[in-house]
Amino acid sequence: MLFSSPTADSSNAPLPDGAPLPPIEVHDLTVAYGRKPVLWDIDLEFNEGELVGVVGPNGAGKSTLIKAMLDLVPSASGWVRIYGEPYAARRKQVGYVPQRESVDWDFPVNARDVVLMGMYGRLGWFRRPSRKDHHTADECLEKVEMSAYGDRQISQLSGGQQQRVFLARALAQDARIYVMDEPFAGVDAATEASIVRVLRDLRAEGKTVVAVHHDLQTVEEYFDSLVLLNLRVVANGPTSEVFTRDNLLATYGGRLTILDRAAEAVRRGGGPRIDRP
Amino acid sequence: MTAILGFLTFDYNTRVVLLGTLSLGAAAGVIGTVALLRRRALLGDALAHATLPGVWIAFLLFGKNFSFLMLGAMATGLLGVATVSALSKYTRIKEDASIGIVLSVFFGAGLMLSGWVHHNSTNASQSGIDSYLLGKTAGMLASDARFICVVGLIVVAAVLLLYKELKLLCFDPEFAAVQGWRVGLLDFALMILLTATTVIGLPAVGVVLMVALLILPGAAARFWSDRLSVLLVLAGVFGLVIAGTGTMVSAAAARLPAGPVIVLCGTVLFAASMLFAPRRGVLARWSRTRSHRRRRVRQRIVQRLFEAFEKDASIALASLSELSQRIRVDRRSFNRAVNRLIRDHWIVVGSGGVGFTDHGWDRALRTVRTIRLWEQYLLTHANIDRDLVDPDVDVIESLLSTAVIHELELGLIESGRLPRDHRNTAIQAPPTASREVPL
Ligand SMILES: Nc1ncnc2c1ncn2[C@@H]1O[C@H](COP(=O)(O)OP(=O)(O)O)[C@@H](O)[C@H]1O
Ligand SMILES: [Mg+2]
Repeated sequence: MLFSSPTADSSNAPLPDGAPLPPIEVHDLTVAYGRKPVLWDIDLEFNEGELVGVVGPNGAGKSTLIKAMLDLVPSASGWVRIYGEPYAARRKQVGYVPQRESVDWDFPVNARDVVLMGMYGRLGWFRRPSRKDHHTADECLEKVEMSAYGDRQISQLSGGQQQRVFLARALAQDARIYVMDEPFAGVDAATEASIVRVLRDLRAEGKTVVAVHHDLQTVEEYFDSLVLLNLRVVANGPTSEVFTRDNLLATYGGRLTILDRAAEAVRRGGGPRIDRP
Repeated sequence: MTAILGFLTFDYNTRVVLLGTLSLGAAAGVIGTVALLRRRALLGDALAHATLPGVWIAFLLFGKNFSFLMLGAMATGLLGVATVSALSKYTRIKEDASIGIVLSVFFGAGLMLSGWVHHNSTNASQSGIDSYLLGKTAGMLASDARFICVVGLIVVAAVLLLYKELKLLCFDPEFAAVQGWRVGLLDFALMILLTATTVIGLPAVGVVLMVALLILPGAAARFWSDRLSVLLVLAGVFGLVIAGTGTMVSAAAARLPAGPVIVLCGTVLFAASMLFAPRRGVLARWSRTRSHRRRRVRQRIVQRLFEAFEKDASIALASLSELSQRIRVDRRSFNRAVNRLIRDHWIVVGSGGVGFTDHGWDRALRTVRTIRLWEQYLLTHANIDRDLVDPDVDVIESLLSTAVIHELELGLIESGRLPRDHRNTAIQAPPTASREVPL
């Protein structure tokens, strides 16, 4: 096993074509850090080819849900299935965009190097990216409108550009499901437009995207389905049905300032942004 | 100097010893850089100190056999590392405290063992081992050096082989885990390589200062390059130079322990890099800040002058003293900036005052436009991407999309703040009639 490809194990398990397996299915999932439960009895099922938003206040467990789906945190009970199999068997079907703050952007690599990392999983042990892989990386940079920045050291990029590099790295993973933690956090307008375009292209290709989102103003515009989360799932379903005042009150309950603005956002179908502090 | 030259032309044994220390330096530079990027530098220090008891235990059990001494050092070194991670994982003690505990406890145990051996043994053979504390190359056997050389080469080869994996591990271990890489295994491999390098460094550099040979080359190299591959090569070369120079000097001056000399060489190299490296070095940064500041003063002069003409389109020249009052910088900076603007043919200063040249008008329009667009951007796109704002950029189009710029310009037109060319005020149509926008 030591010298096998990191993703060779059984992640090539064939997808049963035609069978209506949900891309992601979460059953009775409970996650705790120490004794403190962070996610509690989560049941979810996502539809293929949808953009799914995960919405909830700070500390609601959104990142933890993402990490639990990717086997990054152990679950106390319950399970997650990707196309009917545990995550370890489906790694290659899943692309990941972590929170931008999760890495040190002063690391001595350039944008293209970071995008190439998306292909390391498929390359396996010891094999280096080929000329063709470099070409693919440039294509991924092009998709996020960053082709001019491939040779830029990553600390020389703006926050929005760094976010796009992360997105390009996930595209390089060439997956069927994309999981993203706050891809729109702290980005400029150009980046936001570029990311939205990529998400819609992915949907057009029949891929499934699950993204944590913090801006209630744009939720309806961007996402087909929603998960409203706060320790438990408050609501889950098509955005038009789920994005209601009552549901938002239940999700953000108690946080008065946010509550008012959330209510206003719903009422007007757009209002002030609700940013993370 | 003659001593060093003499050393170079010495016999086969001496040259083998030199080869050993050179490969040690290269290996330490390379693996130390990886450890630095994985934030394991402090752990490397604990590791080095934790090897001491192993050396003495091996000596007590097997006598003075070089390979066994190295194995003993490796064993307690790894035990020390394992203790650190166990303490941080299973207790509430934070990692830095765990490192402190392991370092002092293991090192203390090593010193106690050493004292005990000295007290109870009449055997003089432990004398060589005493130098493991601060390092000494004089007594090194050719066979020991060959061993060091081989291990050093293995470490470098392993980093080459695992280059891509280690790069990913250091940059984004979580992403590595998502792709199915065994992060724990990779970290373990890194620790083994680090331990092996530390252990072969003991005879030459010693327990106390080994961490310097691991860290200084990489830290110095970081000032010279932004690319990992270049960084590793450079750190390897730096390590080689440091270790080589250090051991030669120490061998030439018989009473100097090698460890401190090596650290001294490393410090010189690090300090020189920190000061003189282009772009990242302290001096380069300092001169960049200075020219930035001066540029900002010139920018403000151009802006204020432009505004003077904007306010009163009938004048052809503005008063220099009034201008200097509106720009709150010291006289010297102001004069320097004005002289530079004259030299660059932006402005002309006569007895009647100061005015733009034709070229100056072109540049001023561009400068003021950029500044106002950024102001507008901060006004309307506040809270979004402040990293982007750079008033020094010549072509704002390289940072913002045309759509955004267009939107900003509309905003400026609305508030009447889009800069316009006042060059030929006399023949210009009244402002209300000329709402044309130069896009
Ligand atoms: N590694 C961790 N150890 C302990 N507690 C954590 C850890 N990560 C997150 N938490 C806690 O779990 C809760 C949920 O965190 P998170 O999933 O990051 O929320 P969100 O992403 O919705 O803001 C928070 O209260 C946070 O403090
Ligand atoms: Mg989060």
